[in-house]
Amino acid sequence: MSKNIKLASLFFLFLFQTKLHAQLLQGRVFEITDAGKKEALIGVSIFWLNTTTSATSDTSGRFQIPRVAKTNRLVFRYLGYRSDTLTVTNESEIEMVLRSENNLKEVIVQGSSTQTDRLNPIQTEIITTRALAKAACCNLSESFETNASVNVSFADAVTGAKQIQFLGLGGQYVQTNVENIPTIRGLGSTFGLNFIPGTWIQSIDIGKGAGSVVNGYESMTGAINVELVKPDSREKFYFNTYANNFGRVEGNLHLNHELNKKWSVGLLTHASTLQNKFDKNNDGFMDLPTYTQVNLINRWKYQSEKYMAQFGVKYLNETRAGGQMPNTPTQTQLYTFSNQTQRTEFFSKTAKLYPDKPYKGLGLIINGLTHNSVSKFGFTPYDGKQNTLYANLIYQSIIDNTNHQFKTGVSYLLDDYDETYRGTNRKRTESVPGVFGEYTYTYPERLTLVAGGRLDFHNLYGTIATPRLHARYQINERTTLRASTGRGFRVPNPLAENYGYLVSARTVFFTEPLRPEISWNYGASINHTFHWFDKHWELILDYYRTDFQNQMVADLEHPGEIYFYNLNGQSFANSFQAELNVIPIKRMEIKLAYRKLDVRQTMGAPFGESRLLEKMMIAPDRVLFNVGYALPYDKWKWDLTLQWNGQRRIPVLAEGYVHAGYENMPTDNAPAFVNINAQISRAFPGFEVYLGGENLTNFRQLDPIVAANSPFGRSFDAGARAWGPVVGRMIYAGLRVKIKK
Amino acid sequence: MKNILLIMALFATTMAWAGPKVQEVKIKTSAQCEECKERIERKLSLTKGIKEAVLNLEDKTVTVKFDAKKIDETQIKEIIRGIGYDADELTCDQKAHNNLPTCCQKGGHGH
Repeated sequence: MSKNIKLASLFFLFLFQTKLHAQLLQGRVFEITDAGKKEALIGVSIFWLNTTTSATSDTSGRFQIPRVAKTNRLVFRYLGYRSDTLTVTNESEIEMVLRSENNLKEVIVQGSSTQTDRLNPIQTEIITTRALAKAACCNLSESFETNASVNVSFADAVTGAKQIQFLGLGGQYVQTNVENIPTIRGLGSTFGLNFIPGTWIQSIDIGKGAGSVVNGYESMTGAINVELVKPDSREKFYFNTYANNFGRVEGNLHLNHELNKKWSVGLLTHASTLQNKFDKNNDGFMDLPTYTQVNLINRWKYQSEKYMAQFGVKYLNETRAGGQMPNTPTQTQLYTFSNQTQRTEFFSKTAKLYPDKPYKGLGLIINGLTHNSVSKFGFTPYDGKQNTLYANLIYQSIIDNTNHQFKTGVSYLLDDYDETYRGTNRKRTESVPGVFGEYTYTYPERLTLVAGGRLDFHNLYGTIATPRLHARYQINERTTLRASTGRGFRVPNPLAENYGYLVSARTVFFTEPLRPEISWNYGASINHTFHWFDKHWELILDYYRTDFQNQMVADLEHPGEIYFYNLNGQSFANSFQAELNVIPIKRMEIKLAYRKLDVRQTMGAPFGESRLLEKMMIAPDRVLFNVGYALPYDKWKWDLTLQWNGQRRIPVLAEGYVHAGYENMPTDNAPAFVNINAQISRAFPGFEVYLGGENLTNFRQLDPIVAANSPFGRSFDAGARAWGPVVGRMIYAGLRVKIKK
Repeated sequence: MKNILLIMALFATTMAWAGPKVQEVKIKTSAQCEECKERIERKLSLTKGIKEAVLNLEDKTVTVKFDAKKIDETQIKEIIRGIGYDADELTCDQKAHNNLPTCCQKGGHGH
């Protein structure tokens, strides 16, 4: 290979000398070594996106490349490292850090805001720190605001719980990892998105379709991986404070310290509270619950030539109180909602590295957590406890050369659930050892094929086979095709996943023991870049289908009742998305996306009926428009997002309505609505201030709660018909202070 | 709909602030590596009145575009001097210079 590099650099020298007069961009490419030092990368291939203008880095990592008029996107590609695309604006010299493919090595992502990972065989969108700064508030649930694939909605009008939707399905079907550790799952799926403060996040990868088998069998429609700020980050001090017009205040403090060349320690802290009680729609219920959250991570990192270790603890405590306003006139008692969640977590990641063989590595991930949640809906108590232990040992290497890579390993998952709802106890202990292997074939510059499989031995449900296949084919420099298919498996947690529906007078029925959910996902995508009107455009089309062999059905069609049962018949989610990105002028990005969903589920099994119905609360049409503009070094930054959400089916809860059967059942739709968010920020040498607004048109659903005046009556329901924003326009302002090393 | 238009209009107005008349000046500095470049460019770019600052490491010259109503050349040089670098005839602030990472100090080897 080194011969090729020499040849390539010679070739480049030749090419370069003939073009000496052209305007040059120069720079250096690095990696961050185990000792935390910058080390030059030799022989990195660098080219302007969709052109043949290329360069190779020399022995000191330096390169020079003539500028081209067509594009400002510079691609860096290096075997064994993750390719990256940089949007070059007016710089004459740039610096690039590439990250190793090795799962356990560290990551530095900077540059343009949202991008698609060009070389990843899985269609993956990356949300960088810059894109995260576009929506300053507040936690992971708000981080997807400018992303077309994920949308977030309130689960009900009382608890403040938020749910994501992805490819037409709920967040529970997406495997949500924090640094490759499955995190938002089990009982944590209720409020889990609120448990990762926005400022802690360094980047988010959103993978569409079946995920890699390395992280388990639970990714059914996709996988989200969140990377947090690292202890050896350049920002040794970071402070953020935030307040909004509803009275929510928030503070985040990060401290990162390098103890010596090998050890570093980091502390991420978050505290936020809302104490203001308000009821703008005059239904007697607080529009948002009051709450207080304290959230900490302390982590340590050791890095030497041959070993890397990270370990730490997380602690979270959150209390919420909502329901009727204290001054509501009532004959009996006030309807209140309360929740207290405590979560303690330990994690460690250790890796053995082979400095002379960067493709080789052995890593061990261990994670243990206890989650304890105590809730009350009116008089109804719901307590949930979860203890989880997770271990994953991964070995990666090559067969003969780096065109044939593989990962293999063993994993173990122990989940212990203990839930009590209205006096009924539900207990479940899952113990799942597993083995996995994943082989990646690369035909350089053209084709990547990933074939993975895992076998897990579930103590309750027997052997689970999880095959997955991903392919990426680059037709030409402008066009990339991807396809994937894979099987997913998960055990549902009916109450935690349908928490919002519990804020109602509905009686919960389990008509039969629930079986695990099993699905197949198929998908394909095409990314195409082109040059039009002197501008650089990118078009992304993708289509995914998730087909359930079994699914837990949460049936809300009967007023006053909620039924959980196994699917008997078809259930599927089809998602088609078209996204167009353009850079009309320097440092400006415009995104326009449209998504079409067709999600249906067969309902009525316990009643001897079977009707394929449109899934509730899923808007088949959605449009997203985002425009952002920034001055150099983000001195000023403007950002505007518009979302149009189409109509969606909601249950009929008209007074006196009695459900007589599924076949001729009346249906009801929630209206379409628009949501506009905008933000302006100004950076100064040591700090940044921002001012923004969400839901700027002040759109509100006026009647999110059914029978709000009689919360202990038969028809009270704060979940099933809550489809839109309960609170109106939100204005916020904040400050970020950063001290870099 | 009226609301939407209003917001769009507001947004466009604030964005339009970004375009007054611009002067350009080239200042020779003592920058010697990528870190120096970033430090100088960032500090200048974020200063009121400065539109753009691009440093070329080959000739160590920073090209600054600025609004003459808000800032002048002397002030720009003072800023560069203040963070530890020479700016044309001005010698760097010794204290700030000594606080720079070793590689960015004079006689340091760059990266």
